[in-house]
Amino acid sequence: MSETQNEKQLWGREGFRDDPYIEAESLEVAGDAPDVILPLAAWLGLDDEVRRTSNRRIGVSVAPGEDIGPLLEKLDTIPLIALQFPAFNDGRSYSKAELLKGRHGFSGELRAVGDVLIDQVVFMLRAGFDTLQVTNPVALERLNARDLHDTPGYYQPGRGSAQANGTFSWRRTPAA
Amino acid sequence: MYRYDEFDHAFVAARVEQFKDQVQRRLSGELTEEQFRPLRLMNGVYLQLHAYMLRVAVPYGTLSGRQMRRLGHIARVYDRGYGHFTTRQNIQYNWPALSDIPAILDELAEVEMHAMQTSGNCIRNVTADHFAGVAADEVADPRPFAEILRQWSSLHPEFSYLPRKFKIAVTGAEHDRAAIQVHDIGLHLKTNEAGELGFAVYVGGGQGRTPMVAKKIRDFLPAEDLLSYTTAIVRVYNLHGRRDNKYKARIKILVHETGTEELTRQIEAEWQALKESDLKLPQGDIDAIDSYFRPPVLPQRPEGWGALAAAKRTDTGFAAWVDQNVTPHKNPDYGVVTISLKPIGGIPGDASAEQMELVADIAEKFSQDEIRVSHEQNLVLPHVALADLHTVYELLLADGLATANAGLITDIIACPGLDYCALANARSIPVAQRISERFGAAERQSEIGELKIKISGCINACGHHHVGHIGILGVEKKGEELYQITLGGSADEITTVGEITGRGFSSEEVVDAIEKIVDTYLGLRTGKDENFLAAYRRVGAAPFKEALYGEVSRAA
Repeated sequence: MSETQNEKQLWGREGFRDDPYIEAESLEVAGDAPDVILPLAAWLGLDDEVRRTSNRRIGVSVAPGEDIGPLLEKLDTIPLIALQFPAFNDGRSYSKAELLKGRHGFSGELRAVGDVLIDQVVFMLRAGFDTLQVTNPVALERLNARDLHDTPGYYQPGRGSAQANGTFSWRRTPAA
Repeated sequence: MYRYDEFDHAFVAARVEQFKDQVQRRLSGELTEEQFRPLRLMNGVYLQLHAYMLRVAVPYGTLSGRQMRRLGHIARVYDRGYGHFTTRQNIQYNWPALSDIPAILDELAEVEMHAMQTSGNCIRNVTADHFAGVAADEVADPRPFAEILRQWSSLHPEFSYLPRKFKIAVTGAEHDRAAIQVHDIGLHLKTNEAGELGFAVYVGGGQGRTPMVAKKIRDFLPAEDLLSYTTAIVRVYNLHGRRDNKYKARIKILVHETGTEELTRQIEAEWQALKESDLKLPQGDIDAIDSYFRPPVLPQRPEGWGALAAAKRTDTGFAAWVDQNVTPHKNPDYGVVTISLKPIGGIPGDASAEQMELVADIAEKFSQDEIRVSHEQNLVLPHVALADLHTVYELLLADGLATANAGLITDIIACPGLDYCALANARSIPVAQRISERFGAAERQSEIGELKIKISGCINACGHHHVGHIGILGVEKKGEELYQITLGGSADEITTVGEITGRGFSSEEVVDAIEKIVDTYLGLRTGKDENFLAAYRRVGAAPFKEALYGEVSRAA
């Protein structure tokens, strides 16, 4: 983990972790980096054969206004999808996360990038994100202290939760 | 009514603790106002013109005596001795100190209340017919479904950052008292041919600067599919609603720009994929929530019929109040009492701490411990025995709560306007007060009959002017407050948006203009049984424009 708090850091349910990926506009720009995240258009522009036979992992980054439709039939070959939050209050990527993880069974890494603040961390995890790329100092500090601003129960199904015992069908408790 | 279980208590308590921490960090300067803003909005705390404002949720407008007493206590201890009931069946406090808000939230949590989702771009407090459970024309009580929606929408991970706020209203009666067609989703609880319970679903109603009447997208949705279908609607909206312009971000614009047919197709397609998911409501859960709302066992009180008739003969004030403010209950020995929060010349929707406590006492003794807040900014005692009406009337009268004007011209809806609100262009409350004084005489009001005046201090339309029989919209022109008038609006089962008459009127002129409209109506109605709206629908705007602007109508 880096000492400076303003750097991007990658966090998942188990805590902070190293990020093997770099973000690049194209494979050419990425140089020798082993794992790369490309913008959606660049990713879609890759020849499927090139992508599959590449000896590096090539993830894709999707802006809130972009359609995930073209990715759906290739999901089992995608190692990582980064959904962007240009601002914390642009909530489109939550619905996409739900669709990717819940509906379409995406089993790669689903990552939230952008304006990731502490108050949205639980929402992101419950919507299906595996990792969060964090720069906000308060978020980093609180994640470090594992203070997620969670509630003891939830009123709707979501990932990382279990059916709450003896109560209404829509209620959940955080998974142990 | 619904009671919190341990799950609910723990959830609300956790949120209060979080907000305490956030307020502490704001007060210590760790958080700037800008950083604090999204956090306070999640908890119903607005920054108004003069102070913070706290909006407390009253789910579907239902309160117990204990809850109402606590609202009065909060008004006395933490505010200036009063609170303001809103058009979304909530209450807001206009003068709390930020440092006191955590304590207020603690006080609320003790009586199973909170302020979550009373602001922000999330699913807001779900509203319902204020006569739910007692109205004679009801198929079923809509509140169990409003409660299910309330729970499901609480801190929803996918739907807490929608393009814009999202309002759901539910009614269980053919006559719509919940204005469902001016909500983002309107649900009309009904039965199908097989006698099964379900909903007609309306989407895309709203007011603001682009008023739209909702479109019916489904004639019958089985009750068990309520959450999956609502999820489908909100998901399509979350993904595709506009975010480039906050004035075009409500679902009504998405419906308008996409087309009802295409949007319905998208929603139905999304729903097909969700229909058999975890969101399907087991009948056992519907029944369990429903059991909280079982009608109370009301003792037979047949002596009320005679007592009521006798009291009406000797007390004319009481007789007028009963005729205007008491509506039939399912049980013929009982009545539904509307407590007007529109005293002549008063501030619509305001209630003092003492008044709230009095209403709490009366509800406990005479109304099965139940109170409703109506979207018309009045209070309702849903179960008062006819035999107790006179006693209740005298108690209310002593504290200025027996104004006999429910549904009449002085029963005005008004937003807080420029007296409080940071968004307003013009004052609303003083206009409401002057109209109320002008038409305040009991005989005159009664002669005019049913007439809904609604006043907004800006285009955001919190005072629902678009759906007022007479609507008044405050605008600012060259530094002066100007009032535009609309006619013929309505928010019931035949919802219409009012038409603008023409140029606006100054604050001095506007009450005279309303009087001209009223006099024109009185002159052309076919009889007293043709109310203002019916007369307007028959004759159109022309006679009213002529009265306002002269023969050469500049509005034409």
